[in-house]
This record gives sequence, structure tokens and C-alpha cells, in this order.
Amino acid sequence: MGLLSILIFLPIVSGVLILALPKSLNTWYKYITLVACAMQLLLASYLYYAFKTGDGFAGVNQLSQYQYVENLSWIRLQLGSLGTLQIDYLLGVDGFSIALVWLSALVMLMATLSSWEIKTNLKGYFSLFLLLNASVIGVFCALDLFLFYVFYELMLLPLYFLIGMWGGVRREYASIKFFLYTLFGSVFMLLVIAGLYLSVTDPATGNHTFNMVHAMNPANYSNGAIFNLSSGAQIFGFPARLVGFIVVFVAFAIKVPVFPFHTWLPDAHVEAPTPISLILAGVLLKVGGYGIIRIAYGIFPEAAVSLSFWMGLIGVISIIYGAMNALAQRDMKRLVAYSSVSHMGFVLLGVASLTSEGINGAMMQMVSHGFLSVMLFFIVGVIYTRVHDRDIYNFRGLANHMPVFTGFVMVAFFASLGLPGFSAFIAEAFTLIGAFSSESLNGYVPRWMAVLGALGILLGAAYLLWTLQRMYFGKLRLKKEEWKQALTDVNARELTVLIPLAAFSLLLGIMPSLLFDVMQGSVNQFITLFK
Amino acid sequence: MITLQHFLLISAALFALGLYGVITRRNAIQILMGIELMINASILNMVAFSKFDRAENTGQVFGLFIIILAAVAVAVALVIIMNLYKRVQTIDPSKTKSLKG
Amino acid sequence: MEQYFTDSQLLYLALITITAPFLSFLFGQFFKKYAVLWGISSISISLVTSVLLFFSVWQNQVLHYSFSWIKLANIQINLGFLLNNLSVIMLVLVSFIALLVHIYSVEYIRKDALKYRYFSYLSLFCFAMLCVVMADNLFLLYAFWELVGFASYLLIGFWFTKRRAVHANKKAFVMNRVGDVGFLVGIMILLAQFGTVDLQTLFAENGLIHSSFVQNGLWVSPFRSMPSAWLTIAGVCFLLGAAGKSAQFPLHSWLPDAMQGPTAVSSLIHAATMVAAGVFLLLRISPLFNEAVLTLMASIGLLTAFMAASIALTQTDIKKVLAFSTISQLGFMVLAVGVQDNASAIFHLSTHAFFKCLLFLAAGMVIHQLHHVKEYTETKFDEQDMANMGGLFKRMPLTAVVFIIAALALAGLPFTSGFLSKDGILISVFDWAGHRGGLFWIFPLLVSITSWLTTFYIFRLIFKTFFGDFRLPNIINVRAEEMHLHDPNNWMKVPAVILAVCCLGLVFAINPLSLESSWLHHAFVQQAHENGLLHLLVPVYINVLSVVLIIAAYYIYAQGRITFSNQRTWYYQFSYQQWYFNWLYDKKLVALVLWKSKMAFWFDRYVIDGLVHFSAKAALFMSRLSDFCDRYLVDGAVNGIASIMSRFSVWFRSMQNGKLQHYFVWMLLLFLGFMIFKIII
Repeated sequence: MGLLSILIFLPIVSGVLILALPKSLNTWYKYITLVACAMQLLLASYLYYAFKTGDGFAGVNQLSQYQYVENLSWIRLQLGSLGTLQIDYLLGVDGFSIALVWLSALVMLMATLSSWEIKTNLKGYFSLFLLLNASVIGVFCALDLFLFYVFYELMLLPLYFLIGMWGGVRREYASIKFFLYTLFGSVFMLLVIAGLYLSVTDPATGNHTFNMVHAMNPANYSNGAIFNLSSGAQIFGFPARLVGFIVVFVAFAIKVPVFPFHTWLPDAHVEAPTPISLILAGVLLKVGGYGIIRIAYGIFPEAAVSLSFWMGLIGVISIIYGAMNALAQRDMKRLVAYSSVSHMGFVLLGVASLTSEGINGAMMQMVSHGFLSVMLFFIVGVIYTRVHDRDIYNFRGLANHMPVFTGFVMVAFFASLGLPGFSAFIAEAFTLIGAFSSESLNGYVPRWMAVLGALGILLGAAYLLWTLQRMYFGKLRLKKEEWKQALTDVNARELTVLIPLAAFSLLLGIMPSLLFDVMQGSVNQFITLFK
Repeated sequence: MITLQHFLLISAALFALGLYGVITRRNAIQILMGIELMINASILNMVAFSKFDRAENTGQVFGLFIIILAAVAVAVALVIIMNLYKRVQTIDPSKTKSLKG
Repeated sequence: MEQYFTDSQLLYLALITITAPFLSFLFGQFFKKYAVLWGISSISISLVTSVLLFFSVWQNQVLHYSFSWIKLANIQINLGFLLNNLSVIMLVLVSFIALLVHIYSVEYIRKDALKYRYFSYLSLFCFAMLCVVMADNLFLLYAFWELVGFASYLLIGFWFTKRRAVHANKKAFVMNRVGDVGFLVGIMILLAQFGTVDLQTLFAENGLIHSSFVQNGLWVSPFRSMPSAWLTIAGVCFLLGAAGKSAQFPLHSWLPDAMQGPTAVSSLIHAATMVAAGVFLLLRISPLFNEAVLTLMASIGLLTAFMAASIALTQTDIKKVLAFSTISQLGFMVLAVGVQDNASAIFHLSTHAFFKCLLFLAAGMVIHQLHHVKEYTETKFDEQDMANMGGLFKRMPLTAVVFIIAALALAGLPFTSGFLSKDGILISVFDWAGHRGGLFWIFPLLVSITSWLTTFYIFRLIFKTFFGDFRLPNIINVRAEEMHLHDPNNWMKVPAVILAVCCLGLVFAINPLSLESSWLHHAFVQQAHENGLLHLLVPVYINVLSVVLIIAAYYIYAQGRITFSNQRTWYYQFSYQQWYFNWLYDKKLVALVLWKSKMAFWFDRYVIDGLVHFSAKAALFMSRLSDFCDRYLVDGAVNGIASIMSRFSVWFRSMQNGKLQHYFVWMLLLFLGFMIFKIII
């Protein structure tokens, strides 16, 4: 059993352990989860540390260059004249996924620490939580489309229950909306996956295969197959590969989310309990970005290129639109949710530019947003668990009342609005630089998009600083008198969440090469797909 | 002169009256009387039609035959009614719809 | 010049210069008791190293160290220092003034409970500002530029319980952000075009900017090309960035609001150093600008200078007057860069830093002492309003004297530093306009007017504050003797006196009447002014009228012999309301943006989410429909047959009800039916 499998199955085993323990030991559950997540993070850190970089380890469309690869035959069905149905248990990571695997492990640990606030039905909560954990890691490691899809759908199930059972007032609405939105995208994706299966053959065995790395190589497509580049097959009068790209893109765009597929996000975030918000913002959105890069762009490069103008446009609209919406919010959690839309728009813009800076910036933005949105949601959670209110106008002048907390709020806010020294600055600057130089280098994204995207940074400053001014500065004034006692400063457990996140964001802001070096080779290899 | 038609009309009226009695009465005796009226109507028909068979007088013979049968039937019916009354203390046929004794 | 230090030693010196304040920032947060000590000692260290660097580099060599930071396929961004004449003079300037302000602050902030934060933030500012000055590439410069803005944000909002202070710091940061977006776009343009943002590579004598050219509507660099419009756009973008930081039109209105911060901060950040960063940026990248951008820059500088001076005429808040004066003087510097007289711009930047800092410090002394009076007498009045002052010369003589020295420098009267530097700018503007002629003569005209306005407003301030009657006793009904109003102690006096010395022309030139003899100006001159008649006439005619205006101001404000009643007139209101920019920005523009964001949210809520809900409702409706079909049509048919059968059977059952007479009726009916059937057939 390889390291990646351990990474995936460690939480599952722990989950089963929790299910097996009697109810009387329910105080143990969170510690079991904590230990599992901590071990997972250690392992992921080791993987990241031991990850080899350089020319021979780029990955992307070279299966031999992936690292920590595990390949087991999973399902083999003789289908007579149709050949053999080949589904592999194929895991592996390259520069794109290793960063996200590590990020997921970190966010999961933070979310576990934040789960202390959960008081009801602990057994169900923690076992679902661990299931979610396993499936998220699985999504990032899977290199077989079928396996990927299994993990991808497996994520939805625990999330549905976690939001629907431990959520806020309108939790049923939010969880159903979330579930249906995502399912809507992924069901059609399944069709494309089936189409790919029928088109791609494994060069070694000659069987049809779900292997996504083989799907990136045009030579592996059988003649006349629907997704064969030269077959010219059409679906509803459109080129089949274009339709395939759009379907897959929409499936992941819903996850990212980009305008106009984003409206599940504010509701899901607002209703989800704090730890689940952390996971949603910190990891789940990245699944979308990862999927766009790996599957939509990786498998349908020429379709992606032909639509890159629209991709960039959607990205820019998301940036501006999300920021504008955030400016209009009174509910702090909703504000943070919309700011996620805005920040994830940068990812799309960067990817659409198909330049080294743009894609590196987009990946950096995903990781950075992983730290910062987790921090922001956690901050909202800190207030919410104390007084069960999130309305910005019900608070004022918290700075004197909760000085340490306000310090972290300022770090989180300024880091997310792109203060130099924090990761978001590097990420956004590089994304925009990439988008801008795209027209000179490859002509995919026009320059004005980068200029417009830069306005998102301005709006980001506006809504975050306005919130800071309204909630934290000025004289102390709260909606209810008794809140004064309830609003205590952050405790040790909360500090253990906030400090590492702030530290990592700072670290990546000062030494971005920690991440860039790891991704560099993969990004360059990725770009060659579009030449 | 009195034609066959007059006989038939009388007989029909008698029959109708009898039928009416049979259907509407709540008393088994009265129903019996209605039956008698109907029988009499048929006898009248027999006798009236017997003019077409002057040689053998089949109509008259049948008339006599029916009278005897009617008498017997009345006797039997009366016995049934008495038995009925003995068992259920009523001779209203609409109340004796149960097959149980 | 002799070389005292090896290159690596110089590198360490540069590192120490920036590390010291940074450590002080950290220590200040954690060892709160000694924050003052950390602050002052660190900036002293920086000053010492800056001076050493100055003597090693000045007119001698250019030091450029850089280390690889981020390396991607197409671009490389380094971390590094670039020390040339411009940076070392700025280094000394910043660390010197910062040290004086630190010392001054000890007294100014003495009673504040959060003193440690103040000094810590101040150190953060010094760190960032020194880095801005030394950064060797635009990306790094941008990073520290933002950090400077952040430190300014913290310091403006130092009294974060004051509603207006936190409003002001947000406004300052956001307006700076507008400029920063421009700056960032400029960086993107340069990176896309040249693949590097290294200042030396781009802007040195034989740098990439010089080897790129415009041809056939294309801007061609050795690597790539893009439409030539982007060259102009790049210039405008950087100009926008500089306008944000240096409070130029149209991004100027944050600076007056920023006066909500402590006065010492205003003097350091919003008068002497940070706001000059914009001009510094323009100087660093000046080879980039083409003719159109330069003209625009000159126009913006001119407009800003004139506008701010005209606003300063009517303000009643002592700090507001100084703030607008700062904006106006920065306008002069931008104008100087615009007319390509970089030497004068740098010179004016330096002299302005001293005298404007001093003006703020002296004003701070007045405010500080009046604040004491307020606490002492337990009364309420606005200690920054000039209506509450007057006649302070007798009570605070030293303050008044240093203030007047600085004011003379600001007005540009002979024997002061301001005379030299302003002279340079004026002559360049005259030259520049002379070469172009026509409408360009507006420039020297307006510049002269602005220069006179400057003299007038600053002496209006002096006479209202230090001369005439002391108005405060009548306002708060406390006798002047009971106020114990006097010059502050030495913590404040010493820095002020040192700065006052630096306002003298002798510090900058051996002959304090001749611009050419100034060492600072001389170091940057690319082409000397033509020794024409202008050179003699311009200073004379400016200064003669200035003196007249000073006398006029004396009669109006100190003696009260001449009075105006123009407060109702539109031009007075226009000036007093700061040309209605606050109204336009804070009320209209912000309201517009908020309205737009509300619309966006409405759109999100009702259109996008509405579509989602609509599709959900449509699906529900479809399912209801199919439910209806299932329930009433498909199932209905089955159930219908069954129910018909059961109806019939009920009916048939009624025949077998055991009632004798019913049987009769049935028999009859059947018989009749049979008969009728038979008859019909």
C-alpha cells in the first residue's frame, strides 16, 4: 500500500473506528479525528517535502513522471466484442496536485479544531467528516477518471448531511441547493467521461481506459471515436470536443464557483456550521479549480484555447461581480462568501491566460485562498459561536474589547485584500501579470481584462476595510448588553487555528518560491499542451 | 255486443290491480289476494279465448284446472303465512328478508 | 572619491538600515515597555548607516545588489537594493526626519496608553519607507509602497475609537488603492513588454527603455511589441499610482482627512516622506514617460498646486491648511517632473521635507500645548481651530520663530532653502513654456499665482495664530494667565530647532541666492538652465509681490485693519468646501458604488438566484404535472374501471335483498323487457 492510499484510507479507518466505539465514549471522537488529521498532515508534509522537482518530474501528460504512483487493476470486465472494461485504481501526484493535497490536509486539521463547537450527534458528525476528508484527498490523487468521479460524488454525500443536519436556520434549503447544483454539473460530466472512455485506448493493453493521463495524449484516441481530434464528430451540430469541454467546464465552474454558477455558495456557506464552511471554502472550491486545470483544460486543450476569451471574461466578471456583491452585504459570513467568488475569479483568469505566470499565480491563489478564506470564515465563526449573530451593524468597536482577536482580523483582512508580504498579493499580482502578458505571448486573453481584474483588488480593499471600520473600530457598541460578557477574546484552541494559517500565508508571501518551485515543472509541461 | 276485447281489457285491468296489490301491499294475505286477482284475470282470459276452440273447450278446462290449482295454492300459502307468523310475529313480507329461521 | 568600504560591507550596511526598524517593529509589539527605546535606537542606527551609505555612493558609484526571488518561465523578479544618488539622498532624508519625529513623539504621545503601538507602527513605517527608497525593481517597490500605505493606515487610525479617524484611514487606504491599481497595471505593462521590472535594467543610461522605440503604431522592445497606446497608458498608470500616494488631483482628498492622525505622524508621513514617495516613483522611472504623459503630468501638478493653494486660503483648521499646502507643494514637484526638471523636483522634495515637517511639528506644539490647556482648565474647544488662537507669539516664542522660518521657506523668500528649490521649478516652467509658447503660457502664469497664494495663506495662518489678540480666553472664559501656556519641553524643541536650521539656504548652497551653487541640485542636473534674463527676473518679481502680500496679510489678519465679508460668496465657499471634492467622492461616488453593489446583489438575488429558483420551481411544476397524470389519468383509468364494476355489483346486489316484492318487480321488469325486446326485434 502506497503513501497516497494511506493518506486516503487513514480517515476512513478512523471513521469506522468512531462508528464502532460505543456512544459513551463520545468525547473521544474529536480526539480520534484530530489525531487522524494530524497524522495525515504530517504525511502530506512529508510527501510535499520529498516531492522531486525538475525536468523528469513534470507529470501532467506523462504518466511516468507522476510521483507516488499506485496502480492496481480494479475492475476488468470482458465485454465480448467491445473488448475489456478497464478501470484502474490509479493514484499519483504532480506539481498541481501535491500542493492541493497538502492544503487539504491542513484545512482538514483546522476544521477539526474548529469542530469543538459541534455539540450534537457527534458520532455521525465525525464519521461523515472523515469520509469527506478521505474523498477530498482522493479527488486530488486520482488519475483514473472513473475513480475521480467516484471520489467526486462521494464528497457530496457527507457534505449534504453535514450542512443539512448541523447547519443554521435554512440548512435544508442550502444543502439541497448545494447538492442539486453540484449534481447538475457532474451528471453531464459523467456522460463526457463515458465518451472519453469509448474514445481512449490504453497504449499498453489496447483496452479502452478511463486513465486521464492517456486521455491527454491525442495519439491514444481510437480512429473515428467521438472525442478523436480528427474525427470531426458533432453533438447537436457543435464539435464534440467543444461540447465535451463546455460540459466538463460547467461541472467544475459550479464548484469553483464562477459567475453565473455561484449562487449555491453564499447559501451553503451561511448555513453550514463553521468547520464545514472552512472545508467548503478551503478545499472544495479548489476541487473546481483543479478539475478545470487537470480535466477540462488538460483533456480538451484546443477547445479550451478556442474559448479562452470567454473563460477570461467569466473570470473577470466573477472578480468584479463577487466584490460588488460583497460590498452590499450586512451578514459578515455572506460577505466572506462573496469575497470567495471574487478571489476565485482570479484563478480562472490566470488559467485562461495560459501563461506560466498566470497559471502559477492561479495555483498560488488557490493555496493562498485556502489559508485566507479559512481564516476569514473562522473569524466569523469565533463571533458567531459567542453571540449567535453575524450582522455587521450589530457590532462596533470590538478592537478594544477583543484586542488579540482584532489583531488576527486585521492580518486576515489585509492579507486577503492583497497586502504585500502575504500570499494573496503574490497570487493576484502574478495572475494579473500573466493575464496581461497573454496577448503579447499567445493572444488568448486581451489586455483590458487584466486591467479590469486589477479593479477587483481595489474593491477588495473597499469592502474589507469598510467592514473593519464598522465592526472593529470606533467606540464599543453592541446590540445587546450581555454580549459584552459573551464576547471574550480568542482562546488557545482558536489561536492554534489562526496562528498557523497567518504564518503560512506570510511564509508564502515572502518566499513564494516554496510553492512555485514545486509547480514550475508541471506548469511548463502543462503549457506545452496548448502549443 | 261484448267482444273479446272487452274481456281482455277487464282481464288486463284485473291483472294490473292484482299486480299492484302484490307489489305494494305490506300484508302477505293481501298479496295473496293480489295473486288471486291475477289468477282470476288469467282464468278470464282462458275462458274468453276458449271461444276459438269450441270443439274441445280447452279454455274452459284449463280455467277449471287453474281454479283448483289456485285453491290449493291458497291453502298452501295460508299455511306458509301462518307458519311465518308463528316464527316472526309478522306477515309483512318486506320484513322477512333474512334466510335465517 | 575614496572607497572606505568594500562592496559586501556596503551590502551589510544597507541590510542593517532596513533590518533595524523592522526588528524594532517586532520588539515594540512584544516588549512593550521599551518600545520608545527600540524605536529611537533603531532609527538612529538607520540614520548612521544611511549617512555612511550616502558618503560611499553620492556622486561616486551606483550599488546594485540583487538576489533571485521568483523565477518563472518568462519573468524573473529579484530582491535587491539599488543605491544611486536619488536613493541615498532619500535614505538620509527619511531616516533623519524620522529620527527627529521619533524624538518629538516621545513628548507628544507621552500620555497615551498604547504608546508602544505607536512606536512600533512608526518603525514599521520607517522600514517600509526605507525599503521603497532602496528597492531595485518596481515589483518590490510596489510591495513596500503598499506596506507604507498600510503603516500610514495604522497610524492615521491610531486613535481608532475616533469615528473620523477610522473613516479617514479607510479613505486614505482605498484612495491609495486606486492609485496602486494604476501602479500595478503599469508593472504589468512593463513586465509584458520587457519581462523584467528591474530599475537598472530598464531605466539606466543604456537600459531597455532607451532601446525600445515606437514604430508604425507599435511600441517595440527588444523582446516583444504592443500597440504604442500602451506606452502612454503605462505612463498614465504610473502617474495615477504616484497621484494616489502623493495626493495629486484627482486622488488628493484623502490627505486632508488623514490629519486625523497624531500630528507627529502627519509631519513624518503626510508631509515629509510618504507623500513624497509618489514623486520619488516618478523620478525613478522618468525615462518611461513620453511627451503626452509628461504634459498630462505637468497639467496635473499645476492644477493640484493651484487648487490646493486656493483651498488652503480659507481653511480654519491649522492642520488642514498645512495639509493643503503639502498637496500644493507636491503639485509643484510633479509639475517639475512633468517639465523634465528632475533636479529641481528632487531638490524641492528635500527642502520641502524639512520645512513642511517643521511646520507640522510646530503646529503640533501649538496643538499639544492647547490640549494641555484644555485638560488643565477642563473646558471644551477645538484645539486645531485657528479661531481659538492668536497672539501666541508672546506665549510660545520659540514655536513661533521656528514656524516663521519654515513659513518663509515655504513662501520661497530669499536665504531660505525654499527659495532655491522653488526658484528652480519656476525657471524651468518658464523655460518649458517658452519653448512651446501659445497656451502653455498658462503654466507660468498659474504657477506664479500659486506661488503668491502660498505666501498669502501661510502668512494668514501665522498672523491668525501667533499675532493679534489671544482669542481663546474670551471663548472659554478663562484668563490667559491661568492657562499656563508656554513652549513645550526639549523633547519637542530640539527637533524643531534642528529642522529650522535645515530650512536655511546655507545648508544647501554656499551662495544661498544661487541655485547653481547648490550641491544637491547640481548632482542631478542633466542640462543646465539657460542663463537668461528669466533667471534674474523670475525670483525678483515673485518675491517682491510675496512681500507685499505678507504685509497685506499682516494688516488683514494680525491687525484686523482690513476686513472682508466674503464668507457668503461662491468663491469663498468653493474654496472652503475644498472644491466640493469630498462631497463628490464621499457622497456621490461612494453612494454610486454602493448603489451599484446593491444592484449587483439584487441581480444576484433575484435574477441569477431567481433563475435557479425558477428552474427548481419549473422542475417541481413538471413533477406535479406528472404526479397529476399519474394519479388521475393512469391510476384514474384503473380505479375507474374498478369503481364502475363495484357500482354495478352494488346495484346487482340490491336485487338480491330478500324482499319478496322486489323479486316480483324484477321479474316483471325482466319479463317486460324481454317482451319489449322481442316486440322490437
